[in-house]
Amino acid sequence: MIGPSRVAELDMPGAAIETTTSRPAQSYWNESWERLRHNPIGMAAGVLILIFGVVAILAPLFSAVLTHFQPQSVDLLATFKPPGGAHMLGTDELGRDTLTRLIWGGRVTLGVAFLTVGIALSAGTAVGMAAGYYGGWADDALMRFVDMVLAIPAIFLFILMSILIHPTPVTLALIIASVGWGNVARLVRGEVLSVKQRDFIMATRSIGARDVRVMIRHLLPNVLPVLIVAASLGVGQIILIEAALDFLGLGIQPPTASWGNMLTNAESYFYHSAWLVYFPGVMIFVTVLCSNIFGNAVRDAFDPRLKS
Amino acid sequence: MTEPLLEVKDLHTVFNTKEGVVKAVDGVSFELYPGETLGIVGESGCGKSVTALSIMRLQRPGKIVGGKVLFKGHDLVKNTEDEMREVRGKEIAMIFQDPMTSLNPVYRTGWQVAEPLRLHHGWDGKKSLASAVSMLTRVGIPSAAHRARDYPHQFSGGMRQRVMIAMGLTTTPAVLIADDPTTALDVTIQAQILDLLRHVNREFGTATMLITHNLGVVAGMCQRIIVMYAGKIVEAGPTTDVFAHPKHPYTWSLLRSIPRLDADRHEPLKPIEGLPPSLIDLPSGCAFHPRCAFRVDRCPRDVPQLQTVNDTQQAACWVTQAGTELKGA
Repeated sequence: MIGPSRVAELDMPGAAIETTTSRPAQSYWNESWERLRHNPIGMAAGVLILIFGVVAILAPLFSAVLTHFQPQSVDLLATFKPPGGAHMLGTDELGRDTLTRLIWGGRVTLGVAFLTVGIALSAGTAVGMAAGYYGGWADDALMRFVDMVLAIPAIFLFILMSILIHPTPVTLALIIASVGWGNVARLVRGEVLSVKQRDFIMATRSIGARDVRVMIRHLLPNVLPVLIVAASLGVGQIILIEAALDFLGLGIQPPTASWGNMLTNAESYFYHSAWLVYFPGVMIFVTVLCSNIFGNAVRDAFDPRLKS
Repeated sequence: MTEPLLEVKDLHTVFNTKEGVVKAVDGVSFELYPGETLGIVGESGCGKSVTALSIMRLQRPGKIVGGKVLFKGHDLVKNTEDEMREVRGKEIAMIFQDPMTSLNPVYRTGWQVAEPLRLHHGWDGKKSLASAVSMLTRVGIPSAAHRARDYPHQFSGGMRQRVMIAMGLTTTPAVLIADDPTTALDVTIQAQILDLLRHVNREFGTATMLITHNLGVVAGMCQRIIVMYAGKIVEAGPTTDVFAHPKHPYTWSLLRSIPRLDADRHEPLKPIEGLPPSLIDLPSGCAFHPRCAFRVDRCPRDVPQLQTVNDTQQAACWVTQAGTELKGA
């Protein structure tokens, strides 16, 4: 059935044609980036978040050069100034500059959001990957724990934790992430279950790689697209949660500014100083919207099957 | 003959499932000698892949519940996981069925082919890559230096299988286990890959264990074959003898169920009646007896052991062990 040895044919003429295709090797990441780059709305949303981020990081610079105010410097002679003049976006009931506080508040709000996403993603990935890769009782134990975490009414947990732990940006991020990682774990586990069925995982084990190497070098890059999408969409959700906690007085405590507690504070003065509500509200709205648009764009870019 | 390189003795591997205990490998024993090509044949689910994975101790979630796997005189079943990792990819390499999924899509092929060298010899990226490129050339990848920079999706199925073979050979292992390396490929590519394996076997002296359900593949490749049915070896012997006069009714029926160029073209193919048994609830006695055309009274009662039936062949069958020839319509 099988003819005599044809070793000479190993240098097949047909194979040579294949090598003349001169298109440079395109990795999955390159191709995804290309797709993302050609989505103008998604890119605009991403760039806007990036700008907010840069401004937040450079907050001290901005208050020194642009606004000439500190976020907590009180000026009782200039309370409730409407936007314009020295106070570009007006002042609040203590004469604090709204623009300065918005910039510093963005630092806190975005910082908490990114930190939360980072913590939730790391913890969720570790748990989801271990559960999916090892399977069996480890999977059962870990995922039942995740089920339990997700069954706790989040808002009560947040209230309880905020009472027990003084909410600073870092503790607030930990509090929000303590619930958020559960969904990430589920997501990652599902993806790992599918990826680990493919032969390259067995092939990697068959060349003598340790489990940790298989997970980090071979599984992780294959679940990364899912994580990137989860992260981009997650930022928006977490800003909303954080704003809600601030609004309830359970989040960042005054006088430290965050978009959420600026909104809380402004509520009492809405009828005569509406700008105090508008500016932080608009910032939250725009940031969450951009995060969602950018997240969807990233998803489309990384999974071309979704885009018909 | 020389000392065997790999000696599997009475290997038992089971899977605990909700429905019961699946005896995937049920007392399998065989030897692999240096430089030879051994074929393991059987239909899907007969335990041939699990046998291979058990040798590598990669049978998870299955459990090895008995037997020995002596490699160079050392029992792999008793090895720790650390010791086992030293064997995998360095002493025993494995290639898989589906070349489309056996390479990681996110890494360049050169990087992947070089991975065993980085793992086992601790070579750096540059040195291991150079070695990988020369190995890719030797398995017939044209302009390997360029192709090593490509991603798996830029290779065809046959080319990917060559890449897998190159990856297996970088560390010049003593044993290469090829688990159905040609099923996912079309016929002409199959022939090329088999040629390559034959070539590798000759050039590197690598002992090859070729697992397949395709009798044609075995005929052209292997000096000796082992036929498995329901987790057991039912027949073993030199390929030519087994093909010329099979000593187990299963092999006999298998050979009559495939088309042959030298057969009478008006004679219809004869399928084996019935289905392979469930490995949870095996028939009593010989597992093949419900489908066997030569069944005698003893078959449903006693389990036949693999025994020598003539100078070269072994079979686990009451009929041929009694000296009866397998003939018939």
